[in-house]
Amino acid sequence: MKWKVLEKSELPALVAKLTEEYEVFAPVKEKNIVSFERLSSENQAYLDFWNTKKPPKDVFFPQTETLFTYRIAEKDVEIVEIPAAKGKRVLFGVRPCDARSFVLLNKFFSSGEHKDVYYLEKRRNTTIFGLACTSPRSTCFCTSLGGSPFGKDGMDLLLQDINDKYLIETITEKGEELVEKFPSLKDAEKADVERAKKLSEDAETAVKSKVSVKDVSEKLDRMFEDPLWDQIYQKCLGCGICTFLCPTCCCFDILDEETVEGKRVKIWDSCQFSCFTLHGSGHNPRSSGKERMRQRIMHKFNYFVNDFSEIFCVGCGRCVQECPVNLDIREIIGAISARQAE
Amino acid sequence: MNNPYIPNLAAIRKIIIENEAKDIKTFELVFKDPEAMKNFRYKCGQFAEISVFGAGECPIGLASSPMDEDCIQFTVKKVGVVTTALHNCEEGTVIGVRGPYGNGFPLERMEGRNVIIVGGGFAFTTLRSLTKFILHEANRDRFKDLTVIYGARNPGELVYKYDLEAWGKRDDINLNVTIDRAVPGWTGLVGFVPAVLKEVAPSSDNALAIVCGPPIMYKFTMPVINELGFRPEDVFLSFEMKMKCGIGKCGRCNIGNKFVCKDGPVFSYKEFQMMPKEY
Amino acid sequence: MEDLENLIREIAKKLLSEKKVDLIIGYEQGTLPLHTTPCFVDKAEDVKKLVWNASCDANLSKYVVDRKEKVGVIAKGCDARLIAVCAIEKQFPRENVVIIGIPCLGVVDRKKIETKLGDREVLEAIVEDEQIKVKGEGFELVLQKNDFLCDSCLTCRHRNSPIYDVFVGKKVPEVKGANEFAEVSSLESKSAEERWKHFKEELSKCIRCYACRNVCPLCYCKMCFVDQTMPAWFGKTNDLSDTMIYHIVRAFHVAGRCVDCGACSRACPMDINLRELMKKTEKIMKERYSYEAGVSLKEVPPLGEFKMEDSQEFIK
Repeated sequence: MKWKVLEKSELPALVAKLTEEYEVFAPVKEKNIVSFERLSSENQAYLDFWNTKKPPKDVFFPQTETLFTYRIAEKDVEIVEIPAAKGKRVLFGVRPCDARSFVLLNKFFSSGEHKDVYYLEKRRNTTIFGLACTSPRSTCFCTSLGGSPFGKDGMDLLLQDINDKYLIETITEKGEELVEKFPSLKDAEKADVERAKKLSEDAETAVKSKVSVKDVSEKLDRMFEDPLWDQIYQKCLGCGICTFLCPTCCCFDILDEETVEGKRVKIWDSCQFSCFTLHGSGHNPRSSGKERMRQRIMHKFNYFVNDFSEIFCVGCGRCVQECPVNLDIREIIGAISARQAE
Repeated sequence: MNNPYIPNLAAIRKIIIENEAKDIKTFELVFKDPEAMKNFRYKCGQFAEISVFGAGECPIGLASSPMDEDCIQFTVKKVGVVTTALHNCEEGTVIGVRGPYGNGFPLERMEGRNVIIVGGGFAFTTLRSLTKFILHEANRDRFKDLTVIYGARNPGELVYKYDLEAWGKRDDINLNVTIDRAVPGWTGLVGFVPAVLKEVAPSSDNALAIVCGPPIMYKFTMPVINELGFRPEDVFLSFEMKMKCGIGKCGRCNIGNKFVCKDGPVFSYKEFQMMPKEY
Repeated sequence: MEDLENLIREIAKKLLSEKKVDLIIGYEQGTLPLHTTPCFVDKAEDVKKLVWNASCDANLSKYVVDRKEKVGVIAKGCDARLIAVCAIEKQFPRENVVIIGIPCLGVVDRKKIETKLGDREVLEAIVEDEQIKVKGEGFELVLQKNDFLCDSCLTCRHRNSPIYDVFVGKKVPEVKGANEFAEVSSLESKSAEERWKHFKEELSKCIRCYACRNVCPLCYCKMCFVDQTMPAWFGKTNDLSDTMIYHIVRAFHVAGRCVDCGACSRACPMDINLRELMKKTEKIMKERYSYEAGVSLKEVPPLGEFKMEDSQEFIK
């Protein structure tokens, strides 16, 4: 673990140099919206934000991705595989909550006999350059879910704003490899590192929103038929905002486009959509918003825990901020947590 | 890393129209690559994702027996986009096959025991694979008595009539084929599958039951199975679910924290009782 | 607006205790400042949860379709008009819904406040008749409410619900003369290339979350055209041409029924100005058919029927 100093004025040059060596994805501001985009001569990195609108899962798990193309000639078919992206990438400016989401997504996509190579290969070729949070928002609750504003899970190096300058803390070998491309970076003084640690503690204290998740998974084991679901789903509109903007949600659909020369694509899908589980026969095991809301909560706070011993939520607060009807997942978890243990 | 989303190409060698309504067909496929054909080792009860390029993919249970190594067979009912496109294919058309996926029937648990197979309608397809497998001379003596109860709405809707005829002539299988209501010319059993099961009343002693059918059949058959004294851990059901990836990644086929594509589609009745009621 | 809040609670209590309705659908305080959230009250003693202020932006008419029970719904002008449209379209028995009309002076656009405040997060807010007091870390501001209203409210001509069974409080004067189609006219005056460029830029932000569709009370189809597979009308990826078809066709589907409540634009997480498309269809309906949706329970929307005297200049 190394600590380097970066003068604030030198950040743009560092980013520019990165774009020479790597394909860089960074937060870019377009009108009022900040989202991760590929850096080019047309845009620049923007770091003055709370968090990006879309989570960075987009970079490894795009909204639309071609699995392969095919060509149909009479009765025969030719499949053309898409070669895996070879080039090295940097994902720059990722908040610790979002970086932690990669840990969870990695577990999921690499589990079992069949692995999702599209996600995993992109992830493997990418160095994650995080950005510590110095001012968490009222909707942030990362500390309740194993994260923290200066957390390092899922990252290779972390940029920390200590007011008059930045510190870069390398966390993994990949992070060190990146920092070695900048030999002019000076080592940080002990006082700087102490200041970063103090800012980290302050930021953790600043995360005021707390959600008790202690026994939630066990309680949910017995709550599949609980009347709670009848109450909470009523105002949900069944749109895809919470799932699409969630850093850990990763359900997808597979479709073919075009018949003669076409492609098979993977697109984001949502358990909240009414047709998600609709059978060809017309039967739908989750025919109302109640079953779909229950699925979302159970998946994140029970099923994933049973399979991977982790809650499938990082407390980024995007779903709370963006839900058009202010359905607040923290309230739902609070209601579950408040149930008497049996 | 192997890419599980890329199908293997297979040509349709033969198409058999299975029913009078002509909406159930069996497709016999041979992989274009002989290595792929050799490597496609599967268990009874597994399924594959069949691609009709341009229309999409759908999960279909394997109808052929693993002992037939020169081709694989799928029996498909025309219901939606992909199955309609498949039904419009001719012999010689190349389609895609991904798999085999799923857990299959628990053969190890069936060895040395009596096997009772109960199937309704077109869900009989993987049970046909299992029956053929058990009846194969290399396998038959590993299993004890074999009882098969299979029912369809009417004689025209019975699938694999050619197999049923051949099995009827054998003495190492107790075959009971029934139709829902009597029709002129039908000399076989008449009655819904649960009723016939009750009549045949196979002993649950040292026996395992495999049941496949539409949800309505499960509803009425399971009470009979319970009455006959089968333990929940000795009864196996096969589930259908909307599937896309077939490998437990797209997130849509779960019942509780079990993915039907990966942890199923075969579950014991005991496992099923512990699952949330969402299917 | 305080007395309106108490009046709502009284009316709700009366309707519930007299069993005129089984359920009241209104608003309660949200978990975030400047937010309220839909509230479903079925017991008279719970009416104290109901609130009324300029952050009551959710369109409650969305929750009326497909209900078996009798409901009373707090309905702003736009909401009441949408209930009327759905009633005409036979989406529920009219007698099952008690429309609780209310005078509305506009709802607050949180995105405008966010733009004004920049990085500063609102931690507390008090919404009053004329002002919004916002407080956060190291700042306290008083904003003039009328500077932060939703765009659809700026040209609203139905501040009083035109259709209602019960009216809360006194009606407020309607605004006359505001040119509600000013934005549309400005777009119309641009060249086709400029307009195409504009819409391509706006709609390329779309992530196909369908919040615009799901928040719209008029989008009640059990099987939306987007989800149909036999045939599949267009693609579901974020390919720009497919995305544009989705939005353009949805605009056609709501044409003649849309009242510009603004819910679609408010809900969009990518800040796409969806109202522009819908407003254009509203303008066409007004000019071609002299029709305004949801102000009468007797008129069928023009695209739902044909009259011999309808203009046909486009048939050459």
